Amino acid sequence: MFGYMGKILRVNLTKEEIKVEELKEEDVKEFIGGRGLGTKFLLEEIDPKVDPFSPENKLIFATGPLTGTTAPTGGRYMVVTKSPLTGFIASSNSGGFFGPELKFAGYDLLIIEGKAEHPVYISIKDEDVEIKDASHLWGKRVGETTDKLLEEFGDKKARVACIGPAGEKLVRLANIMNDKHRAAGRSGVGAVMGSKNLKAIVVRGTKKVELADKEKFMSVVKEKIKKIKENPVTGGGLPNYGTAVLVNIINENGLYPTHNFQTGVFKYAYEQSGEALAAKYLVRNHPCFACPIGCGRVSYHPAIGITEGPEYESIWALGASCGINDLASIVIANHLCDEFGLDTISTGGTLAAAMELYEKGIIKQEELGDAPPLRFGNSEVLHYYIEKIAKREGFGDKLAEGSYRLAESYGHPEYSMSVKKQELPAYDPRGAEGHGVTYATSNRGGCHVRGYMISPEILGVPVKLDPHDVSEEKAKWVKIFQDLTAVIDSSGLCLFTSFALGADDYAEMLNAATGFEFTTDEWLKAGERVWNIERIFNLKAGLVPEKDDTLPKRLLEEPMPEGPNKGHVVKLHEILPKYYKLRGWDEKGYPTEEKLKELGLDRYY
Amino acid sequence: MVRVRVFATLRSIVGKNELELQASTVGELLEKLYSEYPKMKKELEKGAIILVNGKNIEHLGKLNTKLKDEDVVSIFPPVGGG
Repeated sequence: MFGYMGKILRVNLTKEEIKVEELKEEDVKEFIGGRGLGTKFLLEEIDPKVDPFSPENKLIFATGPLTGTTAPTGGRYMVVTKSPLTGFIASSNSGGFFGPELKFAGYDLLIIEGKAEHPVYISIKDEDVEIKDASHLWGKRVGETTDKLLEEFGDKKARVACIGPAGEKLVRLANIMNDKHRAAGRSGVGAVMGSKNLKAIVVRGTKKVELADKEKFMSVVKEKIKKIKENPVTGGGLPNYGTAVLVNIINENGLYPTHNFQTGVFKYAYEQSGEALAAKYLVRNHPCFACPIGCGRVSYHPAIGITEGPEYESIWALGASCGINDLASIVIANHLCDEFGLDTISTGGTLAAAMELYEKGIIKQEELGDAPPLRFGNSEVLHYYIEKIAKREGFGDKLAEGSYRLAESYGHPEYSMSVKKQELPAYDPRGAEGHGVTYATSNRGGCHVRGYMISPEILGVPVKLDPHDVSEEKAKWVKIFQDLTAVIDSSGLCLFTSFALGADDYAEMLNAATGFEFTTDEWLKAGERVWNIERIFNLKAGLVPEKDDTLPKRLLEEPMPEGPNKGHVVKLHEILPKYYKLRGWDEKGYPTEEKLKELGLDRYY
Repeated sequence: MVRVRVFATLRSIVGKNELELQASTVGELLEKLYSEYPKMKKELEKGAIILVNGKNIEHLGKLNTKLKDEDVVSIFPPVGGG
């Protein structure tokens, strides 16, 4: 097989057993790799109804056929598991250098099973794999853990993925950090790792990814890199200002969620924009493996020294969402989230929900004791509660459950701005209807990277769609975006390439690497298969479409109070049936037998 | 007068974040801007995102979108992220 290492590394922490298995060609032809392949294994190997924190849940690190190649942005990997935040499928993507290194060590997938008796880490040096004691690392932050492990490992070229204190404490917002500042951020994957007493994975590999047609691959890659460099977004906006270039445009369009989505305009957005970040804190760009874009930011603040980020989502979650305008506080808060191993989106979203509950008199100061009042705009809140959440101390213990469980415990789940219990990201869908559908139907819950409809609805790429249109045409684009995204996520590339590349470009790179010679439509069909197998996992886990494919009441019923989208709500009931139909699902949102047969998935459901 | 806000790379070209101009359509406004800041035309030749009071001109009257006093026009070079 080309593009693949052809091996799965399976580590059982209960039995302390390490096995290497062959990867089958028929599996990768169906599910590509990364997100798709990881989900296939998870669905086949666990009962989707299992408690996410039980040893029966598995944690899968999955690379794709383009991970570790010179394909532009070929540095991504996925963490696939059952989420303790949503109770559904989790697949969290990350960049940096860890994914390629896992592949260089000879493995396409790392499947972790069971639960260690005491804290451990997994050390991988090509074929030499060991489970090692990590008691001395337990409780340590991400930066220190990474440094210590690299020192112990004795090879500075090794790469580390680890959890911070939040993952150890089973915080449902905990992430897995690799290369110190890149995050497999969402759905609480870090808490699953913590539940297995697994602090870290250190990997060093010396192999190469073999390609089907090396010359063809090189010429195809060269052409794609040129497209990316010449594109004004991937060759201009992103390298110059990072992802935070979006702050102003999303705010000017009136869909920058502010004060827990109470409005879509934040009057201090200018002060926390990519432009402001570049002027005040940017030291240099920091591209991930094989990335010609380089949106990553290395920043400096005297209180913390050198750090990375913050990204658009983090600036928003720890900023406007909580009414905080002070960029310095946000830069520090983002650093703290990285260090404690917390997802910035869900942390910010949970704090914002807590602030609304506090301001409405539902959470009372007596409950917080001496802790800072949870008021919008109080930047003191950020730094104090981030640590409390990570350590599950005081009121942080309640916040550590995420916004939905928090709000529900007070009898007000409507103040949690989440879908499937996962906090929504930085776009108010009252200003982008298609994006609202992707929120409602994303298999991993509230998420912007499972079909980024902001691109056509707001940024005009690759077409200019009216953000308020809810026609079948819009639903069609949602499906295309979701399926193409599944292909990119399964290949091992970064989604940002799609600002410059189209489906044909990905098909060309995949074919040259794997030698499969699939048509673009066949690759997209694989993407559709990935989408549907995730849906099957969720249905088996207990998803009820009528109840779960929806949005917070506020977005469906409360008209946007001000700005360009004033008066708008999301017309989900109008567009969702059109979307289900295009997916080949019945009117209630269940995949039809016919569709499953067409995708070869009828054996699963 | 129309209030014009510029973003990203346009800021260093214009030398400020905001300015005021007299124009009756978006097309006319752009002509005036381009003649004063020729580099801006080049910067936007691969596309631009132009909003009038937060609404994209693509879904209004495109370059013929009418402008009146106090309107806010926001101009971005192509941007993306996520």
